[in-house]
Amino acid sequence: MKSYTDLRGTVFSLSGLESDERTLIARLKKQSERVADWTEFRNFWMAEVSQFYTAKGLSRREIIESVGYRIGQDLASRLGIAQGKMRPPDYRSDLELLILSKFQTRKEFCDATGLSEDMLSHVLARRKHLAIDTLTEALAKIGYSLHIMPNSQSNS
Amino acid sequence: MGVTSVLECSFFVPLTRDINLADGAAHETTVWDWLDNELFERFGGGTIAPGTYRGFYTDPDTQQRVGDESYRYIVAVPISELDNLRKLLQAVCVLFAQKCIYLSVSGHVEFISPSHPS
Repeated sequence: MKSYTDLRGTVFSLSGLESDERTLIARLKKQSERVADWTEFRNFWMAEVSQFYTAKGLSRREIIESVGYRIGQDLASRLGIAQGKMRPPDYRSDLELLILSKFQTRKEFCDATGLSEDMLSHVLARRKHLAIDTLTEALAKIGYSLHIMPNSQSNS
Repeated sequence: MGVTSVLECSFFVPLTRDINLADGAAHETTVWDWLDNELFERFGGGTIAPGTYRGFYTDPDTQQRVGDESYRYIVAVPISELDNLRKLLQAVCVLFAQKCIYLSVSGHVEFISPSHPS
């Protein structure tokens, strides 16, 4: 496996990784093909990845940003989707995480973007969608933008 | 060497959004990933009990019996960090569209709502 494409279309090149890190990722992928339950694989990959990178002296934050962690998490997400327990990423969950991390309240986010609180409430409850031009304009006001990415295909 | 008191905490996260607060559909992978990242960064990890847990409760707003299916997370938390876990679960209420989250701290049950005082 020379590269890995996650559910969002982000491509991770594996060729520049050290051999033990490539071995870790191969082990994760093999295990994800053996088990069908998300919880079982989630516990497996987190323990493997944590042990691997902790031994290399990485901090927790650095581990979360590592290729092994992100691929382990993506493999787990695929299992969760295949089991019907979760759904693929959606712009509305991204929006909610953005609000949580960058704003004190939804009102503060609405004040900054010009979106109405009522509309945002319906969107985050997944009852409505934002028009793409409305979302683009709102995000531009806070320094964010939309991107179109390819769907991830099989990783080989 | 000093001794740090660590408590076993467990909490349930329903697999779907609350039907009264939202659409009752399954969560996106994004929020499950967020929860794992938060647990790892704040507490160094946590375990999910195998499979899912089915239960029911009476919705305080509608007085209707509601059935749900949840994942059970187990995490070891130092006593001094308990409020950190409560704050995380307040955010879980919002992101996972839940009225409250069932938290057990060494067998003592708390219901954490988005406005839970912590």
